[in-house]
Amino acid sequence: MYLLYSLRLAIQSLWREKWINLLSVLTIAAGLFMITLTFFVVYNIDLATKRLPARFSVMLYLNDGLSEQEAGSIIAQLKKNNAVEQARYIAKDKALEELKGVLKNADYILEGMDENPLPASIEIKLKKESVNIAGVKKVAAEIKKIKGIAEVEYGEQFLNSIHSIKGMAKAGSLSLIIIMSAGVIFVCYSTIKIAFYRRKEEIETFKLLGATRGFIRAPFVIEGSVLGISGGIASAAAAFVFYYVLFYKVTAAIPILKILVFPFETFPALPVAGLLLGIGGAVIALGRIRFS
Amino acid sequence: MIHFSNVTKFYERQAAIKNVTFSIEKGEMVFMTGPSGAGKSTLLKIIYLSEKPDEGSVTIAEWDLSKLKESSIPFLRRNIGVVFQDFRLLDNRNVFDNVAIALRIRGMLDSEIQDWVMEILKMVNLRHKADSFPQALSGGEQQRVVIARAIVGEPTILLADEPTGNLDTDTAAGITRLFKEINARGTTVVIATHNRELYRNTGRRVFRIDSGNIVGEEIG
Repeated sequence: MYLLYSLRLAIQSLWREKWINLLSVLTIAAGLFMITLTFFVVYNIDLATKRLPARFSVMLYLNDGLSEQEAGSIIAQLKKNNAVEQARYIAKDKALEELKGVLKNADYILEGMDENPLPASIEIKLKKESVNIAGVKKVAAEIKKIKGIAEVEYGEQFLNSIHSIKGMAKAGSLSLIIIMSAGVIFVCYSTIKIAFYRRKEEIETFKLLGATRGFIRAPFVIEGSVLGISGGIASAAAAFVFYYVLFYKVTAAIPILKILVFPFETFPALPVAGLLLGIGGAVIALGRIRFS
Repeated sequence: MIHFSNVTKFYERQAAIKNVTFSIEKGEMVFMTGPSGAGKSTLLKIIYLSEKPDEGSVTIAEWDLSKLKESSIPFLRRNIGVVFQDFRLLDNRNVFDNVAIALRIRGMLDSEIQDWVMEILKMVNLRHKADSFPQALSGGEQQRVVIARAIVGEPTILLADEPTGNLDTDTAAGITRLFKEINARGTTVVIATHNRELYRNTGRRVFRIDSGNIVGEEIG
């Protein structure tokens, strides 16, 4: 059918304007690579915040002179709370021991103290779904009402900061991804629009000979697809170079960066995204084809 | 086959054709003659749907143009072969491809196109020029390529706008013979021309057009 012919026309046109098209492909690749980098940053921020619930704990400091039995009763009450995953009692002596472990060689700080100044406490881990500002605040307020608890501490500021960083990163990256995608579509749009105007006379003749919209559009949509998918493949290659350099070269010098994770699904997704954006740009460029 | 009823077409408030009514039957060969700017080309443009009439009704091969959906226009155009005054040949394609495009548009396979196009090129005596590009052809040869492209899809109507415009007498006579052959196969042929030699002694109907009106009808 005419698809083969359209393919031939598209290839001829792409070849005829190879340098302009190469420039378009590189621009599309740059845009998609920027989107990849943004996605990489957001992906890692998201991973970090997902790991947060496992590390997050709420400390409950108990009133002085509370017996272990009374502490046990507090733990029993805590476990009735749906948000609580586990609760661990830390006796005064154990708290001091743990502090000495943390201070290591600096334990001279504690010298001269006659009495253990640390209170007995309970460390509670919350369920994953409750580790958010609202959830933690609610649990803290409920716990505070339990008799025998002197103070509740959960690093409110830290939690607020993490969540606002995550929110800002998400909003910023989404805006950047939208802007860059619009940029890629615009590049495809301009390239196809130029190609369309260059062949305007030929297209008018095609129309007069009885060509359908599909016949007229097909070569341009193929051109847009080729530009998009080529840009996608080029950006995937650039992403691979970035991955290789970061994870095999840079991490050797800065080992902490090993905690970063590269989303491998990006590699096949880039040509697909390029293809879709290329088709989108071409379709917008062609607009509505009129016959009279 | 072609029916115009009180058709008027304006260009910037100026009527290019005014209240024109005529009918052309299936298998007829008719001529439209008149001076430049008389409205001959506008009439043909309305037939091949390049222009819409502002008033009146037009029926082409049972299709009422006022009720025709835009998406159906290509399919009606495939029934109409046009020999354009300005040829509209594709300069970056050879003779074969210029003719074959009319079949490609119809979705024909390359294997079918090859034989059919060569057959038509033989008919217009251009088989040996199949690989030539339009710029390398004479005016008469270019005209025959346009005719080949117009008839290759076996249209029911063939329109020709000043087909012998810049051709010498012998070449023009050859082109006229070709139109008669095509008409003899049952195709309705409408030729717009100001060249009297083209329709003299043909025994066909000739519409005389002036200032957008049909001012007379005679037998050539």
